Amino acid sequence: MRTGEPRVVIGLFDGVEKAAQAAHALRSLPLPEENVTTISSVPLPDGAVTRDRRPIRFPWIVVVFWLAGALGGLALTLVTYQVYPMITAGKPINTVPPAIIVSFEGGMFAALIATLVLGFRSIGLGPFRSGKKVFDRRIHEGRIALCARVDTGEQERLAIEAMTASGGEAVRAEEGEL
Amino acid sequence: MKRRWAMVIDMDLCTGCGACVVACVAENNTPTVGEAEAGKGRLMQWIRVVRYFRKEEHDETRAIFVATPCMHCEKAPCEIVCPVYATYHDEDDHVNAMVYNRCIGTRYCGNNCPYSVRVFNWWDYKREKPLDEQLNPDLTVRSRGVMEKCSYCIQRIRRGKETALKEGRPIRDGEVLPACAQTCPPGAIRFGDLDDPESAVSRMMKDPRRFRLMEHLGTEPSTVYLKKMRAPGR
Amino acid sequence: MKSENHLSRLDESKLYDELSRSNLPATKRWYAGTGALLLVVLASVAAFVYMMFTGLGVTGLNRPVMWGVMIILFVFWVGLSHSGTLISAILRITRATWRAPVLRGAEAMTALALMVGGLYPLMHLGRNWRFYYILPYPSSRQLWPNFRSPLLWDAVAITTYLTGSLLFLYFGMIPDLAIARDRAAGWRRKLYTFLAAGFRGTHAEWRRYHVASTLFAVIIIPVAVSVHSIVSWDFAMAMVPMWHSTIFAPYFVAGAIYSGIAGVIAVMVILRKAFRLEKVLTPDHFDNLGKLLLTFTLVWGYFYFSDYLTAWYSRFPEDWEVIRSYSGHYLPIFSLLVACNFLIPFPLLCLKRVRQSIPAMFAVSLVVNVGMFTERVQIVVPSLARRNDPSIWGTYFPTWVEISFIVGSIAMFALIYVIFSKLFPVVAISDVKEQLFHTTDRTIGGANFSTVVSGEGKEEGRET
Repeated sequence: MRTGEPRVVIGLFDGVEKAAQAAHALRSLPLPEENVTTISSVPLPDGAVTRDRRPIRFPWIVVVFWLAGALGGLALTLVTYQVYPMITAGKPINTVPPAIIVSFEGGMFAALIATLVLGFRSIGLGPFRSGKKVFDRRIHEGRIALCARVDTGEQERLAIEAMTASGGEAVRAEEGEL
Repeated sequence: MKRRWAMVIDMDLCTGCGACVVACVAENNTPTVGEAEAGKGRLMQWIRVVRYFRKEEHDETRAIFVATPCMHCEKAPCEIVCPVYATYHDEDDHVNAMVYNRCIGTRYCGNNCPYSVRVFNWWDYKREKPLDEQLNPDLTVRSRGVMEKCSYCIQRIRRGKETALKEGRPIRDGEVLPACAQTCPPGAIRFGDLDDPESAVSRMMKDPRRFRLMEHLGTEPSTVYLKKMRAPGR
Repeated sequence: MKSENHLSRLDESKLYDELSRSNLPATKRWYAGTGALLLVVLASVAAFVYMMFTGLGVTGLNRPVMWGVMIILFVFWVGLSHSGTLISAILRITRATWRAPVLRGAEAMTALALMVGGLYPLMHLGRNWRFYYILPYPSSRQLWPNFRSPLLWDAVAITTYLTGSLLFLYFGMIPDLAIARDRAAGWRRKLYTFLAAGFRGTHAEWRRYHVASTLFAVIIIPVAVSVHSIVSWDFAMAMVPMWHSTIFAPYFVAGAIYSGIAGVIAVMVILRKAFRLEKVLTPDHFDNLGKLLLTFTLVWGYFYFSDYLTAWYSRFPEDWEVIRSYSGHYLPIFSLLVACNFLIPFPLLCLKRVRQSIPAMFAVSLVVNVGMFTERVQIVVPSLARRNDPSIWGTYFPTWVEISFIVGSIAMFALIYVIFSKLFPVVAISDVKEQLFHTTDRTIGGANFSTVVSGEGKEEGRET
């Protein structure tokens, strides 16, 4: 019984149909749905081969950042007006429309940066990468890689069997994460 | 002490001689641009004398002269568009202030002035000897890239206020005069403090001939005009 | 019956090679062309340095025309940058089927045109070296900038839009950079590995990637609208006749999108020829772009007529003098404008034969761009030259310095675009593949059609 490093069984398939067949076989092993995923050069529709049920919440956090940026813009204008109360064109010191414009742009700026950072974090790119990830370069030739995380040696054997039976190539077990 | 400086230009008296322009150039270190540049529309004078001709039937052609310095508007459109606060409204003197070393030269104020009284330093103007000895040490010589305009000779206003403060007395009416008002031969340009009810400008403000240039724009200029009345035979 | 999708018929490596021809190692011809562009840019930079040290007198500016070619170039290039936002963001959100090959070129146009346009507010300053007074920083003068000024709103908006469009461009490229990473060698591999940030293509990654891309597109559209509105408010806030018009914000946004679409068409024609992308950029794509251009010809014409009509009808004296100059001193500019922006493109774009002919579309797009540049000229110059006080009416004609800025800006845009296309995938390869993956063939009656998947799928065996 191996402990420690997580292991993933990975196999290459020539088309969506074969990959879907193999995924079905893995699900009836049984392997839980969240332990099986595909790696593909083209995004596969949700449910075609595998399904990802984890909720995506980061857009709501982007909204929070938008509000923070807008407040920052508002503070910048209003504080500037208060600290430098110079009369221009007889207008009031605290003018509202310019504050609205700068707040809007500040909010959008914060939202854009937040989308990038939170998107990276959600996907797991860049500085948010963790652990050794499995990958196969041959997906760019039109193949779909099906990966299954296995916890026991028995599961590994069954998974390799199921994938080979469904027409998988280069089926092997690797150390790494999904 | 707060003051409300204003200028009244009586068009009945103005002969269009242009002495005000010369005086302003002498007082304020205004460069002389030369004929070529003037032809391109780059005169640097802070006050201009505009000449309009008018011809009515059975009458000879008449010229109307409008001496146009900065209006020092209470609601100056040039102030609000400057991104760096290089021009703002001075609340102690109620004049439109121009800060040369803050100006970065976007020229938005020049575009937003409906009277087009603002001028821009397109070059570093050279003054050959001995003309550089003519410069007034009371104010700067502006570098290329900054806007400038009539300041109601703010250097004279400051000097007048300092003197009066030193001597512990109020400023007398007519003591502080911009170069144009001081020089005008027929006395068409009058200058003074509107907050002083005894001053000449306060009196002239109540004249029914009084009008403001482009009054419909709502800029509330401090430079007002007294309309030219044409009596028979004049 | 499960039919084959179009992607499975192709060899994906060959497809990648075909679409990424721009990334092949540079040839002598490439270096020669890029070198020529660089020389033109450097000449323009030299003219700018000369102007900075001598003064703005080397331009044709004067009183009253204090804004000229540099502001015109600013508005023109920021307008051109609306290309990517419209084509990429809106087409992504509406999931138009023909969007795939056009996305990357358009998004790149946005970011790069902004880089060129954003230089001009700095270049036209009288004291450029003091530009940092616009920034709120703790200074010994103890002063911060004036947020009531539209120029400050410009600074904020352009910064936001430039950052946003660069991030949008980069984020959209990540799957293509992943493919490039896996196919490259040497220093390119290192570059793409860094930029692809470890993207692999798992199902969870793709789902989140789509959400983030859509979010970017949704955010960038209001930013683009606000940016050109704010640029238009540089003029609309002023007390200059024919500038002080409430319609300027939507008018400028419509005009920007119009010039942007024309710009995208021109760039796409050049990319198609240079990198032999005939198979992905078909006449059908230009047909669709042409229909968009036609729509915006009408939209632009509508806004222009509305603006003109109100000023013409009320005959306010100050506005009327400017309008009179359109049939007087500025008649050539006015005629060129109306011809190039409406009279020529509108009837031509109505014809399917024109829309599907690539040389014709290239010509029409250039005509529209000339027309939009002339429109900027007509907005800036006559209003200042015939403004409120007739005693200082003047004229304006650009000098060699300003002409070099015009040429230099085009050369700079071309230069950055050429370098961009050499280093990065200039066709959105993953989007093309995704489009092909979703397309299958279907026989209806006696004819064959290609059909595209739409909407969410349903699992087999489930009840409706």
